[in-house]
Amino acid sequence: MKYGILIAVLAVSLLVAGCVEQPKETQQGVEEIRIGVVAPLTGGASTTGTDMWQAAVLAADEINAQGGVLVNGTYLKVKLFKGDTETSREGGVKVVTKLITNDEVDFLIGGFSSGITYADQVVAAEHKVPFIITGASSPIITRRDDIDTSYFFHHCPTTDDYPDSTLLFVDEIVKPLIDERYNFPENRTLRLGVIYQDSKYGEGVYDGIKKAIEEHNLNMEIVSAEKFKMSETDFRTPLTVMKAANPDVVYPAAFLNEQALIVSQGRRDVGLDTIYLSVECNDDTDYYTGVEKWGEYSIQESRFGPYVIPAGPISSAVVKFKADFENKWGAPPSMMGASTYEGVYIAAEAIKNLGGTLDKEEIRASLAELEIPQIIEVMQNGVITFSPDYRESKFDLYMEQLIWNETVGETRPKIVWPDSVKETDFVLPDWYKPGGP
Amino acid sequence: MDLGVFIQILVWGIYAGCIYILLAIGLNLIFGVMKVVNFAHGELLMLGAYATFWIYTFSGLNPYLVIPLAMIILAIVGVFIERLCFRPIMGTGKLNEIFLSLGLIYLFQNLAAVFWTTDSRSIHSPYSDVSITLGSINLPVDYIIIIVITAICLIALQLFMKKATLGRAMRATSQNREAATLMGINVERMDMLSFALGAAFAATAGSLCLITGQMVNPYVGSIPAIEAFAVVIIGGLGSIPGAIIAGLTLGIAENIVPLFMQYSVGLLGLEMSFSAWKDTIAFIILIIVLVIRPTGIFGEKEE
Amino acid sequence: MKLNRLNIKTGIDIVTLILAFLLPLILEVNQYLLTVLILMLVFTMYSSAWNLLATSGQGSLGHAAFFGIGGYVSAIISNSFGLPVIVTIVIGGFFAAVIGVLIGLTCVRLKAWFLAMVTFGFAIIVQTVTVELSGLTGGWDGIPAKKLVPVTITNHVMYEYYIILLIAVVVIVIIYLIMKSKMGLALEAIRENELEAKVMGINVTVYKLKAFAASAFFTGIAGALEIHHFGYVTPEVYGIDISFWPIIYSVSGGLYTIGGPILGTVVITAIWEVLRSFGMTYGRFILIGLILILIVIFLPKGLISIPEKIRSIFLKN
Repeated sequence: MKYGILIAVLAVSLLVAGCVEQPKETQQGVEEIRIGVVAPLTGGASTTGTDMWQAAVLAADEINAQGGVLVNGTYLKVKLFKGDTETSREGGVKVVTKLITNDEVDFLIGGFSSGITYADQVVAAEHKVPFIITGASSPIITRRDDIDTSYFFHHCPTTDDYPDSTLLFVDEIVKPLIDERYNFPENRTLRLGVIYQDSKYGEGVYDGIKKAIEEHNLNMEIVSAEKFKMSETDFRTPLTVMKAANPDVVYPAAFLNEQALIVSQGRRDVGLDTIYLSVECNDDTDYYTGVEKWGEYSIQESRFGPYVIPAGPISSAVVKFKADFENKWGAPPSMMGASTYEGVYIAAEAIKNLGGTLDKEEIRASLAELEIPQIIEVMQNGVITFSPDYRESKFDLYMEQLIWNETVGETRPKIVWPDSVKETDFVLPDWYKPGGP
Repeated sequence: MDLGVFIQILVWGIYAGCIYILLAIGLNLIFGVMKVVNFAHGELLMLGAYATFWIYTFSGLNPYLVIPLAMIILAIVGVFIERLCFRPIMGTGKLNEIFLSLGLIYLFQNLAAVFWTTDSRSIHSPYSDVSITLGSINLPVDYIIIIVITAICLIALQLFMKKATLGRAMRATSQNREAATLMGINVERMDMLSFALGAAFAATAGSLCLITGQMVNPYVGSIPAIEAFAVVIIGGLGSIPGAIIAGLTLGIAENIVPLFMQYSVGLLGLEMSFSAWKDTIAFIILIIVLVIRPTGIFGEKEE
Repeated sequence: MKLNRLNIKTGIDIVTLILAFLLPLILEVNQYLLTVLILMLVFTMYSSAWNLLATSGQGSLGHAAFFGIGGYVSAIISNSFGLPVIVTIVIGGFFAAVIGVLIGLTCVRLKAWFLAMVTFGFAIIVQTVTVELSGLTGGWDGIPAKKLVPVTITNHVMYEYYIILLIAVVVIVIIYLIMKSKMGLALEAIRENELEAKVMGINVTVYKLKAFAASAFFTGIAGALEIHHFGYVTPEVYGIDISFWPIIYSVSGGLYTIGGPILGTVVITAIWEVLRSFGMTYGRFILIGLILILIVIFLPKGLISIPEKIRSIFLKN
C-alpha cells in the first residue's frame, strides 16, 4: 500500500513540477532577450546574491524603459530569470540547467562562490550558453581545461588582480614613506604579513600575492602567513604570532565579518599597529560600522564602494546608479551588484551588434570582440573589453584610505591611488610601528 | 618560543573558554534535568545577540546593562521551546532530539534571515579602547569584564543550586526524577526552569560576543555551538565542573596546539599555518577522549 | 489474503519501476527535470544508506564524509588510471567503507549524542585532510571528474538517468535484503536495547561495524555518482548541508523502513522544486524546519505511516 502513495506522489509531483516549470512559449521569433541571473538568494551568501539580482533588475528596467534593445530597427525587451543557487552545488547545477533548458535563456549572468561556479559552469559549457561571470573571483573559471571555457566571460577582478594593484600601491606609496620616516635604506625589503581564509578565495589571494611579487619583481617578502577557517571570529592567536614576525604591512584575505575582527582585534587586543590592507569585497557599509575606529588609516582596495565616487568621466553615472538603486530597493548597492548591473548592459550591447540573431555562437563571438565604454566602474583604458586569452575584462582598481569622520562616528574612505582618481594623499599614521630590520 | 607570546595566547584561550563555558553549562543544566540535548543551542546564542543588538539600538543603554534584558527574553523563548518541542518527545528515543534540533536550527536561522536580513550587525562597547598592560601582555578591559561576568554567572548558579529551594529541587530532579516526583517536586516546572536558565546563559554568551566586536548575522550560532558540544562531551554530559575544566582546556588547546604544530613542522624546515585547524583539533581531542572514556572525563558511568 | 496483499505490493513495485523508466519519455526529454530526478535518485540511495546505519541506533551527523570520499576517490582513480567510471565508483564506495569501519571502531562504544558529535567531527577532519592533500585533491580548486556518460553522446543526461536509476534499484534492493535478513533483525534488536541484544547472543560490535561499512559503501557510491554527474569535485562536497539532507529525507519519510527514505526524498524534493518555481527563498528552509519538527512530534513514523494512521482511524469508527 505504501508504494501506492509513493507512485502517486512521484507522478503528481513531477507533473506539477513539469507543468509549473514548462516555459509558456507560444510564438517563435526573437522578441525578447532572455537573461538568467545566477546568484545565491538563500543561504550564507544571500546578502550578496540578492544585491546582484536587484542590480540586474534595475539594469533591465532601465533598458526596457527606453523601449528595449534596438536591433535591426525593432526593439527587443530584456527579460530576467531568477536563478537561486541556494549557496550549494546541487542548487547551482539544478538552477543553471533549469535556466538553460526550461527558460531557454540566451545569457547567464552572475555566478558567486567559485566552488559552486566550478560545478554549475559545466552545464553552461555543455550547452554553450554565454556566461558573464560577475561575482566569483577564481581565475580558474575561465582557465580550466576539462571543459570548453570559450563561452565564459569574466567581468569582475580575479584573486590575481586584487594583490597586483594593492601591492603596486604599497610599493609605490607606502614603502617609500616607511623608509623615509625610519631612515631605512632604500633597498630594504618590505615585510609583508598575510592572513588568509582557508578557502578558494583566501588561497587565491595568497597565490596572487606571491605571483604579483614575482611578476613585478617587488622588493617584498612574506614574513608570516597564517590561515584561518571560514567564519572564524577569534584571530588573536594568529595575529599574536604574526606580530612576533614583525611585519611592516598586513594583508588579510577575508570576508567582511572576518576582516572587521582581524583589524579590530589586531589593533586593540594584540597591539599590531600596522597598515592593514583589504580585499575589495569588504568595501561595504556594514564593514565601516563593524570595524569602528580601529579601521582608521587602513587601506581598502576597491572598484565600487558605498561612500566614494571616483572622479572623472563616470562619476555622474555612479551617482545616478546609486540614487536609482536606493530609490528602487531602499538600500545602497554593493560591489557585486555594480558588476552584475554592467553585465546586463554588456549582454545588451553584444546583441546590438548582431543584427537580429540570438544564435549562441554569434553571441559568443560578439562578446569576444566587444569594446564598449566603461559604465559605472573604472576600466583600464576606459573600455570594457575581454582579453583574448582568458576573456577577462580589466578593471582599474583603486585604493582607499579609511579616515575618521567625527560627524558620522565611523571611518569613511578617501581614494588615495592611482593619481587619475585620487582625492587625497596617503597618510602614514603616528601610531604606526614598522616591522623588524 | 617567546614566553610573552605564550602567556598572551594563554589569555586569549581563557577568553575563548569563557564563551564555551557559558554555552556548555546551559546545555548541561538542560541535560541534567531533562536528559535531552538541544543541538540548536547555538541558535539561542544568535537570538540572544540579536536581542542585545535591538535593545541597545533602540535604547542606547550601556550594552552590558542590556544583557539581563536579553537573558529574560531568551529565558522566555527557552520555555516556549521546551513546552512546544521537547516536552512532547521526551522519552521517545534519543535520536528524536537530534532530528528535532535540526528542524529548530533551520527554523531559527531562516526566520532570523527573513526578519532581520543577513546583514552583519555590530555594536560598540563603551570600553573598547581601554586596556591594561602588564609587561608585554595586553589585557583589554572588555575581556576582563567577560571573565568576571562568566565567574559571576557560575557563582550565582552554584549558590542557586545549593541554597535556593528551587535550585535544590532542580538538583534533586537531575539526580533522580522519579524520587523527585514522589517528594512532591513539580518536575515539569523544573524542565521549564532548566531550559530558561540554559537559554539565558546562551544569551549571555551571544551578547558578550557581540559587545567585544563580533558581528551578528543569522548564522553566527553554529560555530560556537559546535565547540560547546565538544566541551560538554569532553567534560561529560551533565557535569558542571566538567564543562568548566573542558571549556578552559579546549579554549587554550585550540590556541596553543596550532602554534605548537607550526613550531614543530618548522623544525623540519616546513612552513605551514595550522590556525585553520582549530575545529579539527577540537574534534581530534574529542575523539581521543571518547576512545579512552566513552562518557567523557566527568561523565556518569554507563548503565 | 496475505498472498493477495503481497501480490498487489509486488505489482505496485513493478508499476513504479516501469513508470520511473518511462517518465523521461512521457515528459519529453527535459534536462532540468532529468537533473532533478538524477539528484533525487542519488539522494534516495544516500538517504537509504544513512537510514541503514540509523536502524542500528547510530544516527550519524557526518555522512558527508563518506559521500565526499566516494566522490574524490572515484574521480582521482578514473583520472589517473583511466579506469571506466562504473568501476571507479565501486572502488570509491569500497574506500568509503574502509574509512567507515575506522570511524565505526571509534563509535561502537558511544551513545546517541556522543556518536553524533564524533561523526560530525569526522566530516570536518576529512575536509581538512582533503584540502591539505592538495597534490592529490587539488586543494580548494578541486579536480575535474569524468562525466558518467560523455557529453559528446546526444541525450547523455538521459543515459545517465537510466544508469543511475539501475544502480539505485540495485542498491535499494540490496539494502532491502540486508534489512530483511538476520543482520537487519540484529540491528533492530541493538537499536531497541543494546544490553538485551548482547544477552541474546548478538555480537553487537561486529554488527555495528557491518552497518557502518555497508552504509558508508552505499553513501560513497551515491557521492561518486553525483560527482561524475556534475563533472567536478571541490571540498564543498563535505558541507554540513550534505550531512543533514539524508536525515531530513529519512525522518520525514519514515525512519527504519525501506520506503521511508525513498518517499521522503521524493516528497521533499518535489516540494522544494515546486516552491522554487514560486520564487520562494528562505521560506523553503523555514518550511523544511517546520516539517521536520512537526513530523518528529506528531508523526514519528514518518509520512509513510499516514495510510496506517488513516486506517486505524477508520477502524475505530
